[in-house]
Amino acid sequence: MVSTNKNILRAALILSYIVVITLLIYGISAIYSYLNMGADRNKMLHTEIKKTDQYLPKVIWAPLANEGRPIDTQTLHDIEDDYLDAWYIKHLAYKTNTSTGIPDYYTESARENLFNHIARNTKEKIHIESTSLLHHPTLEFFSEDGQLAVITDHDVVEYKSIYKDNKIILETTEITTYKVILLLEDGFWRVRHLIKEALSSSTNNIAKAKVSNLMIKGINYYPKESPWDMFGSLFDTEIISKDFKIIKEAGLNSLRIFIPYDDFGKTKVTHGKLEKLKQVLDIAETHQLKVVITLFDFYGDYSVLNWTLNQRHAETIVSTFKNHRALLAWDIKNEPNLDFKSRGKTRVLAWLNSMITLVKSIDPTHAVTIGWSDAKSAYLLKDKVDFVSFHYYKDPDQLEAVFNQLKIDIPNQTIILSEFGLSSYRGLWNPFGHSEEAQASYHKIMQESFDALNIQYMSWTLYDFNNIPKEAVGRLPWRKNAQKRFGFIDKNGRKKGAFKYISSD
Amino acid sequence: MTNKLTYMAILGLLLLSSFSFMSTDDLEEKRTLMLLTTDISYEAGSQIDLQFSSSTETTPPLYCSNSYGSTIIIPTLENNVLHYKIPSHLSYKSGLVNWTLVDKDASLLGQFQITSKQHVAHLETYIGPPNIGAGGTDYTMLVVIPTDTLDNPLKNNTLVQVQHQFLSNEKSEQIWTKHCIAYKNIYSEQSKGRILIASECLNVHSKEYSVEVMAGLPTNFSISANRNHHYADGNQITTFKTSVLKDKLGNIVSDGTYVEFYITTGNGNILMTFGSTIQGVATAKMLHPDHGAEWIIKAFIDGIAESNTVTLNYMKAIKDFEVAFSENNRSITIGPLQSFMKQMIPEGLQVKLLIYQDHQLIKTIIKNSNLGYSNFNLNLDSFTNGSYELKIKVAGLEKTFKTVILW
Repeated sequence: MVSTNKNILRAALILSYIVVITLLIYGISAIYSYLNMGADRNKMLHTEIKKTDQYLPKVIWAPLANEGRPIDTQTLHDIEDDYLDAWYIKHLAYKTNTSTGIPDYYTESARENLFNHIARNTKEKIHIESTSLLHHPTLEFFSEDGQLAVITDHDVVEYKSIYKDNKIILETTEITTYKVILLLEDGFWRVRHLIKEALSSSTNNIAKAKVSNLMIKGINYYPKESPWDMFGSLFDTEIISKDFKIIKEAGLNSLRIFIPYDDFGKTKVTHGKLEKLKQVLDIAETHQLKVVITLFDFYGDYSVLNWTLNQRHAETIVSTFKNHRALLAWDIKNEPNLDFKSRGKTRVLAWLNSMITLVKSIDPTHAVTIGWSDAKSAYLLKDKVDFVSFHYYKDPDQLEAVFNQLKIDIPNQTIILSEFGLSSYRGLWNPFGHSEEAQASYHKIMQESFDALNIQYMSWTLYDFNNIPKEAVGRLPWRKNAQKRFGFIDKNGRKKGAFKYISSD
Repeated sequence: MTNKLTYMAILGLLLLSSFSFMSTDDLEEKRTLMLLTTDISYEAGSQIDLQFSSSTETTPPLYCSNSYGSTIIIPTLENNVLHYKIPSHLSYKSGLVNWTLVDKDASLLGQFQITSKQHVAHLETYIGPPNIGAGGTDYTMLVVIPTDTLDNPLKNNTLVQVQHQFLSNEKSEQIWTKHCIAYKNIYSEQSKGRILIASECLNVHSKEYSVEVMAGLPTNFSISANRNHHYADGNQITTFKTSVLKDKLGNIVSDGTYVEFYITTGNGNILMTFGSTIQGVATAKMLHPDHGAEWIIKAFIDGIAESNTVTLNYMKAIKDFEVAFSENNRSITIGPLQSFMKQMIPEGLQVKLLIYQDHQLIKTIIKNSNLGYSNFNLNLDSFTNGSYELKIKVAGLEKTFKTVILW
């Protein structure tokens, strides 16, 4: 017994000795090999250039008629890139009150001015979240040796929200004209002088688009097998065509679809996705259905410095489809009021406001709306949208009161109910849920109200779904399961009782 | 400018009037804040104190934004007057400053102009390009940015006097600033030299700047060739030389102007050599051919100028040569190879042996001559016993042996 214990002790000693020695040798060899590694030549030469889009305001150059030397396109691009970077760096500096990057884009004397601002704002606990959305630069002068350029940047649309002690003090959109002198130093076009020359009041008087006189009787649509991922790998034009036929034959005339922001390629919208969207619109046109396109699905950032990136996304999609005959309206964002709590109401509203301005500047003919998740948010931005749309999942008997109140609060605007419905889920997670019969009677009541009050509507949704992605309603099983049963047609393709009341016809 | 400001003030008023639908109670409230400051233009660096009358104790913050950035100013309240002291980093920089009084009842907004001081502290001067060509078509550009002590560009239409001197010419010209800068193109004259440039603005003088005037583009030129003898010995060197290269005004082109010499040989091949100029003359060299040839030589400055054509004839240096076979015909000795004075040809003359079997070329062996001879050994491993046809080429001469039996 004694010898066994001794042996165990010996073995443990030897083992720990081996372990210690191994670690020691490993450590020394690691240090040795690190010291012998030398520099990575590839890194030394900065051969790798990773350019990511961080700031893409719309830039419209005036036709070139500058004094001095004629400029070539390449140089003009270089100037534009560095000039915009100078703006970006400035926004970033005033947001964080740090001076990172300023020396690259402002000359030695010019950067002092920014440092002074940063110093004071730091002291006073002020920070500014800002961006510029639109630039109209004119090249005034380009020197013979190609080292100096003068630009007048007309009507720069700047958005700023100014915070003191982390509390918002003011939110403003300014339209400013700047004179800029740029010098080419160390391969960078740096700002030498920056002078604010004029300020025009932000008018925002964009004409209202005519709301289509179509009496909307529609439905929110996702294919049965790919809810919240309509343009993904399961995209199938035959399925969509079949579904649209069902919708048309049910007596509906329009549908609402969703464009996921990330899936469509964010800033650089991918061609393949645009092609798929075109096919959907084409199919809708063949079935004589009108489409409300909801942009920015699964987007929730809103941070001021990313606005320009969001705007390029919307710009691509809106300019591609603004002439499509199936297009009915643009829904800027689905239920943005749900982001008020996490992102701040002011910022979300400012984002929506600037996005509406952008969309309307590209497509002045189609109506623009925002799909608010409840009636009490519907008055927000009511004068900016061309028609008001809201969602209603509450008691159908209250609809009349809610709608009439809205009509009083928002006169002279068409108000559309763009989502409503009832889940027929009854099971483990909600044993007292509604039956299919209850769902049918819900839709019956709703249709009666629509008839009585002359409400334009879009129901939720055509199908029961098998899989709900967690991004749509979260992970909670009672929410997920409820979301699976909102359809008029069940997952086996059988028309549920509610289908009879999908439209009033 | 004042017109513009008046216009803006009216616009601002119009904007403010849009609040007029507020109830009279609110209007009363709004009246408690009124702008007292009437100045709408200040010189950079002055103390700016924006004053508002106030009937309450509230001290609303003022948002204020200039060319470079924005900030928030907290007022001091004295005798019902709110004082907003504009910080120096805002009041020092020229340009428009706009402000908004952030008050929950009434939002007042306005703007004022900060103008640069009208005396010069620096004449920021940029000149380029630093070298230009003579001839009166090429020019350099002087760009002047007059700035005041606070680094603000002076207002438009400020006079800048430009002086420049070239040889006996001294000129003084007036330019005016526009878009914050003033610029002047200074043209070269007929001869090369150095232009000295200086500028002056509001009695402040810049330092001296200089621009080098180089000769203009060279004109066509002539070339000559110089050689020891006219034999094609593959050993001596022929030197080509240009005439003095000048621009059209007679200025010698700058040293290092690159001249390319193209030599077209009798069989259409092109040889190239080059030289760069020193004092306007470029020289280039080329080894003599090793067989009789006619060379046509022409020089170019690429895309700019060209020379005349010079023709050179090279006579055969070697008239004939001997071939001796030994060691079962496997050792072939060629020579003596003698030049034009019967002297042994210098080392390195190319001798080429072509071996055919059944009219098929099976091997080419190239050797250089040594001490006037060249020796080939046809190895048994490479060339089995049999009949071969041999061709020997030396200095443009050729000898053929139809049937050589190797054994």
